Amino acid sequence: MKQLVLDLALPAPEPFSDFVAGENAELLFQLNEWCTGTPHARFVYLWGEPGCGKSHLLAAAARRAQARLIDACCEALPEEIEPDTLLAVDNVDSLDRAGQETLFAHFNTLRAGSGGLVSAGLLPPMLLSMLPDLATRLGWGLVYQLRPLSDSDKAAAMQARARQLGFDLSGELADYLLRHAPRGMASLYRLLEHANELALSRQKAVTMNLLREILRGQHATPAA
Amino acid sequence: MPDMENLWPYCLQELEKSLGASQFNIWIKPLAAEASSDVLTIAAPNPVFLDFIRDRYLGIIEQAAAAYCTDTPPQIHLKIGTAKRPPAPKATPAKTAAPAQANAPQPAGENKPAESRFSRGAANHETTRLNPLFTFDTLVTGKANQLARAAAEQVARHPGSGYNPLFVYGGVGLGKTHLIQSIGNFVHQHNPEARIRYIQAEKYIQDVVRAYQHKGFDEFKRYYHSLDVLLVDDIQFFVGKDKTQEEFFYLFNTLVEAGKQIILTSDRIPSDIDGLLERLKSRFSWGLTVAIEPPELEMRVAILLKKADALHFHLDANVAFFIAKSIRSNVRELEGALNRVIAYARFTNQQISIETARDALRDILAAGNRLVSVENIQKTVADYYKIKVADMHSKKRTREIARPRQIAMALTKELTQMSLPAIGDAFGGRDHTTVLHACRTIEEMRQNDQEIGTQYAYLLQMLRG
Repeated sequence: MKQLVLDLALPAPEPFSDFVAGENAELLFQLNEWCTGTPHARFVYLWGEPGCGKSHLLAAAARRAQARLIDACCEALPEEIEPDTLLAVDNVDSLDRAGQETLFAHFNTLRAGSGGLVSAGLLPPMLLSMLPDLATRLGWGLVYQLRPLSDSDKAAAMQARARQLGFDLSGELADYLLRHAPRGMASLYRLLEHANELALSRQKAVTMNLLREILRGQHATPAA
Repeated sequence: MPDMENLWPYCLQELEKSLGASQFNIWIKPLAAEASSDVLTIAAPNPVFLDFIRDRYLGIIEQAAAAYCTDTPPQIHLKIGTAKRPPAPKATPAKTAAPAQANAPQPAGENKPAESRFSRGAANHETTRLNPLFTFDTLVTGKANQLARAAAEQVARHPGSGYNPLFVYGGVGLGKTHLIQSIGNFVHQHNPEARIRYIQAEKYIQDVVRAYQHKGFDEFKRYYHSLDVLLVDDIQFFVGKDKTQEEFFYLFNTLVEAGKQIILTSDRIPSDIDGLLERLKSRFSWGLTVAIEPPELEMRVAILLKKADALHFHLDANVAFFIAKSIRSNVRELEGALNRVIAYARFTNQQISIETARDALRDILAAGNRLVSVENIQKTVADYYKIKVADMHSKKRTREIARPRQIAMALTKELTQMSLPAIGDAFGGRDHTTVLHACRTIEEMRQNDQEIGTQYAYLLQMLRG
């Protein structure tokens, strides 16, 4: 009989504590400064390729600062904000013209007031194809590229995540995933969660065979 | 003249109607106010409260007060405090007096009791929405903006009687806002009585919409038509807002006919703003249209040094030159780069040299590490080694083809997040072990073969942009 897996969520880790810094230590420091309202870090923009951890960091920053988090891919920006708002906007490159104008107005409101904005996109502000008035404002604050982790940092991050989920991921298994799976961190984490769930439902450990099986039926897990 | 004693009670009544009980109880009720012959002084309990009132409710309060005093709308002063009674006439000056107002001449010969009781300049400054730091003194001038500055100073000295409107245009982030606010601050400093209002175009649009929603057009008009100097930033945002344009057209005519000064900015000259009413375009060209160009190198260096100085950060002139040479596009990005360098210096606790500045600016300058696709990598590598892109997928194993293919695979692993099997697929359906082997081989060759090392580094740089 198949073991049912209870949908019990783990307590959310402390913001930033589960992020492997790699080359991103300064960026993490400044994000913390943003959360505490330090004046020089009121406007922070992160950019980097898909899967490098932008959304993860934005969500962590928003949680720590109790800021409003908007994913521009699927949510509209609020029409009006107060000048002391802390706002986090993910995927700014998905904003349409009206959304860009709204964020432009919000930026001006926040800058004139005491609020702050942390935002993220795929490209540095100078290369964003959007309203130049907005792009240059995003480039006015602190701009950081979120650098992808090295393979060894990724392995360490996966092992830490596995421990959080309640199982051990050997170096050999981490290495296997880095060779065979899409290597964005978000997709690797999803894969670990899927492996954990499958292992629990079968009352077995996470093994090479299990990972192979998951990768063979990759269509069952979202792609990176 | 209406009874000024009842001005604030009237405003409260109107505000409660338009804001609703909850907002009114939280934000308006705690305010204390006192009205004199032509000034309504409102005291907020703390700075946060004051900021909030200024940003959110000042417009509505102004409209309500204008509705009460139909002849001459009173000026609204904001201050921090709870006392209903003003301090004695010879009280110490308010701490919040902005530097620009420190030397403001006191208007002579008029009997204005409120003036002697409050730091009129500082309180009055609130209603202008001007940033007190944007003055001619803090504006760096170079070839790019000297003409615009000269025109602006002329307008500041003789508002309403010379170039009207003054239309300043130029690309984003070149300092248009700073320039026009300098005019506002100059006029305010020399004539604290002048009714000045700086507004961004989109806020003006919101005001029009709000006036419509609350049927408050009379108050809206009374307020805007009473101004002596109106500064509207980024007028190009009026495009597509027909009602706003129409209202602005009447406002424009009224003010210009009354000899009041209008100052506008845009990212292009009036005739190039598609979607703007022709009659507005022609009126915008009545006065003087001046351009601000991107700053030249020396001006960029001067901007950096002045900005660093204002932030109490010692910036070596050589480093300023390095940053100024690297960021050419606009002042905003230049300031962003400086902010980044200062943040880096604070984080690493070290002096900034050209080397450390380069490190700090990697994320901006590189503009680099742009997103690279496997197709782009294959084409770039094939072009470089003068082979066909099709060879990247072919079964051929001659060294002239196999080596570039291995290099392309290694670059793909480094520059994308594709899985190794996916990389293998993209190179003619090869196994992931082949990709791994290619990556290891190239890694070794980069260590041991200088030529390959150089070629790889060059390709990496090309692809990252």
